[in-house]
Amino acid sequence: MAGIYVHIPFCKAKCTYCDFASYPDKLCFAESYMACVYREMAMRSPELKNYTFDTLYIGGGTPSVIDEKYIAMLVAAAKKNFNLAENAEITIEMNPGTVSAGKIALYEKCGINRYSVGLQTAIDSQLEDVGRIHNLKDFLACAKLLKGKNFSADVMIGLKNQSVADIEYTIETAEKSGAGHISMYALSPEDGTPIYTDYLNGELPDGDTVAEMYAAGAEKLRSLGYERYEVSNFCKKGKESRHNLNYWKRGDYIGFGVAASSCINNVRMTNTFDLDEYFKCILSNHFAVVNSEEVDKAGQEEEFIMLALRTSAGLNLKEYTALFGGDFIKKYSQAIQKTRGYVEFLPDFIKIKDEFLFVQNSIIVEYLRLQD
Amino acid sequence: MGKKSNIRNFCIIAHIDHGKSTLADRLMERTGQVSERDMEAQLLDSMDIERERGITIKLTPVRMFYKAKNGEEYEFNLIDTPGHVDFTYEVSRSLAACEGAILIVDASQGVEAQTLANVYLALENNLEILPVINKIDLPSARPDEAKTEIEEVIGLDASSAPLVSAKEGIGIDDVLEAIVTAFPAPQGDETAPLKALIFDSYYDNYKGVILFVRIKDGAVKAGDKIKTFRSDKVYEVVETGVFSPNLQPKSGLFAGEVGYIAASIKSIQDVAVGDTVMNADNPAPEPLPGYKKVQSVVFCGIYPLDGSKFNDLKDAILKLQLNDASLIFEPDSSVALGFGFRCGFLGLLHMEIMQERIEREFGLEIITTAPSVSYKVVKTDGEEIFVDNPSHLPPTSEIEHMEEPIVKADIYSPPDYLGQIMDLCREKRGTFLGMTYLDKSRVQLEYNLPLNEIIFDFFDQIKSRTRGYASFDYELIGYERSKLVKLDIMLNGEICDALSMIVHEDSAYARGRMLCENLKEAIPRQLFEVPVQAAIGGKIIARETVKAVRKDVLAKCYGGDITRKKKLLEKQKEGKKRMRSIGSVEVPSEVFMQILKTNKD
Repeated sequence: MAGIYVHIPFCKAKCTYCDFASYPDKLCFAESYMACVYREMAMRSPELKNYTFDTLYIGGGTPSVIDEKYIAMLVAAAKKNFNLAENAEITIEMNPGTVSAGKIALYEKCGINRYSVGLQTAIDSQLEDVGRIHNLKDFLACAKLLKGKNFSADVMIGLKNQSVADIEYTIETAEKSGAGHISMYALSPEDGTPIYTDYLNGELPDGDTVAEMYAAGAEKLRSLGYERYEVSNFCKKGKESRHNLNYWKRGDYIGFGVAASSCINNVRMTNTFDLDEYFKCILSNHFAVVNSEEVDKAGQEEEFIMLALRTSAGLNLKEYTALFGGDFIKKYSQAIQKTRGYVEFLPDFIKIKDEFLFVQNSIIVEYLRLQD
Repeated sequence: MGKKSNIRNFCIIAHIDHGKSTLADRLMERTGQVSERDMEAQLLDSMDIERERGITIKLTPVRMFYKAKNGEEYEFNLIDTPGHVDFTYEVSRSLAACEGAILIVDASQGVEAQTLANVYLALENNLEILPVINKIDLPSARPDEAKTEIEEVIGLDASSAPLVSAKEGIGIDDVLEAIVTAFPAPQGDETAPLKALIFDSYYDNYKGVILFVRIKDGAVKAGDKIKTFRSDKVYEVVETGVFSPNLQPKSGLFAGEVGYIAASIKSIQDVAVGDTVMNADNPAPEPLPGYKKVQSVVFCGIYPLDGSKFNDLKDAILKLQLNDASLIFEPDSSVALGFGFRCGFLGLLHMEIMQERIEREFGLEIITTAPSVSYKVVKTDGEEIFVDNPSHLPPTSEIEHMEEPIVKADIYSPPDYLGQIMDLCREKRGTFLGMTYLDKSRVQLEYNLPLNEIIFDFFDQIKSRTRGYASFDYELIGYERSKLVKLDIMLNGEICDALSMIVHEDSAYARGRMLCENLKEAIPRQLFEVPVQAAIGGKIIARETVKAVRKDVLAKCYGGDITRKKKLLEKQKEGKKRMRSIGSVEVPSEVFMQILKTNKD
């Protein structure tokens, strides 16, 4: 498995919790930016000609905010420069406030077959509070346009004044509108974002409350037929995001655009977060990588464990032996002993019990100590 | 080399902060021992800790030459002494090597409690005492009152006491001249068999153990075969010399002199401070009287933070003991902390200093347990034992009764704070003995207090309640029967031996309550709920709960960027190294110090 990620760093407005590379005031650069992305793809093309990519994910920022023709050209550029599998999963992230029937028609036409919609919450006052540009009505309209298509909705936990009922209502709304996939995230207030002030003033629900609300949300999702397949991802049968699954499997992926990260052949790379620098690099025919690190065998093993244990399926014991040699259960007998009660064994798999996925760090860290 | 009659061996005794080290520096400067330019502030306080805290811990000898008004040149050997009450033992060691003592009294503060203790010590050793009134440059100086006080309180003639300001360099010549006239020259027979008192030692990586000695009789030089009275091991002297204040080789040391001997002594246990050095070929028939061995009063466990560093810790403690014979230790082990040492100290400050020296001078990270005192336990079968480690206490059924050490405390304070001090002493189970107005601005309060209350937070409390005005001194007076109980702390139902303590029955509940509260804050949340309980003999008296962690995952691995998550896990992994497992509960090592805290501030 291999995937392609493209980062579109433009937004209409920056949400108060946003800590990612996104620029609400630079939409005018979209055309030049996209030209650079196409060029970056062309630059990478030769070294990746032996790869077949199964997924293309267009994320942001808000990819749907830029003119849809650039998206169509982007998909075309990906197909031109790389072997994109016939049945590749091609996803685009959308803000419900930036869609139209025409846009979706063009997306559809250029080959996009999966949509990820930033619903976050179905409560308008909460949407407004975190600076989202859409309201519930926008989402419903967007969902109507996506009717019958494969789409996912993002739900956020830990907003100011959010109640369990609000979360359940949000999930019901997403389900009714046809979302086959729901990503449910706990808000993490990062220093430097506007919402951090709320956090410092104790206006956001505390960790325990968030955990409780998350558990209630997960239960609601289960009752509506969504199965958890990763700590924060839930879906109806067969609607898993293949792009995300590739991350947890330590598959290769190549990222394009500002702040995009890649992992090809055990080398992890990150592009610059600075838009100007990105332009300068690409226009002078240089890659915009600012951070590159080769992951050694021990590091690969650590990552493999850490990522596999995020998923509900868990860690494939046979795959482990094939990749790293030796018997996982023997090699990690101490960690398994220490975390018994929190993990379970299924045929060929070891996994963190669903009810402990939310405290997985405390469990996973036991498995990392061996490599000191 | 001067004649023996021109040697003066002396020390300086003073209350902490009365200017002892400054005067010593001034004497060295005036005798040309060091030039003003080369002076590092406070020369003799060579340890970092000494300079930072402004106190002298180790005694440091130094030799000076002074041309007196009578035209003769004199050799002065100054042996610096610590001023703090905890270091009485060190003081007694220096005193045994001297004939005289300069007593510094602060012109504005007068005679202080600690000063008295050391003066009596000096008198016991038949030392001549030369009073010096220091800090006369201060606006608050009242030198005449200080003189009167010396005469009234100590009973010394202070009429001709030099008036000096060590800081400003006033009156230093008077002091130098007075040293010549007030102190006697050393006695001793150069032709008699060698007798040298070891008053200090330290380990040099190249020369082996360096002995600091005062030659009482005879002489010693390189090539001589020596032994100590208590050991039969014979060593050949490699080098002898004096302190200037760094080691300066000199061919031979003679009766009356103070200097050092290097004899390639490898094992630091073979030469005890207080022992007598003799000539192996011509041994003296009997040793010098040693000096009073002091008793440790405060004990605590010291463990390496990293369990594999046990041997490093052992080496460090052995080396520290070499020049601080008052430090006693024995191997100990704890279920929670692994292998370590139980150490005995002269007081709380001594304990703190030692802990700091281990960490700084040897670069070791250590965990220390709460300080304890030594309790007398009378068992039902009549046997009497002393227990300083709560986890070694016999089962309750075998204890007939317990006794705890009691001290007599003298507290000096301006009258304004009497109420606060009396409240504190009452809270600390003190018995009021009496009160004396020394003058209109100073009152002396006498109390009997249990030592285990003093080691807890008495120092801090008395300083904070009197805004630092009160000072106090204490001496051990014996044991008293007391209702003592062992307070255990249980984490997730398991007793954590390193957190157990012996407390008075009346304060057990409050202490247990407070400990549970502190521990609840200090123990990180685990995957399961951890009850923190305080218990006496199996009966739970307080409980707090450390709730289970509910969320620790960074949910978003955005666009495949897993570095943030990796960093978070790395940090968590790093933190684990500082953890100790108590049963299934992981506890950060800082927790073992929490037990000392009185409240949450």
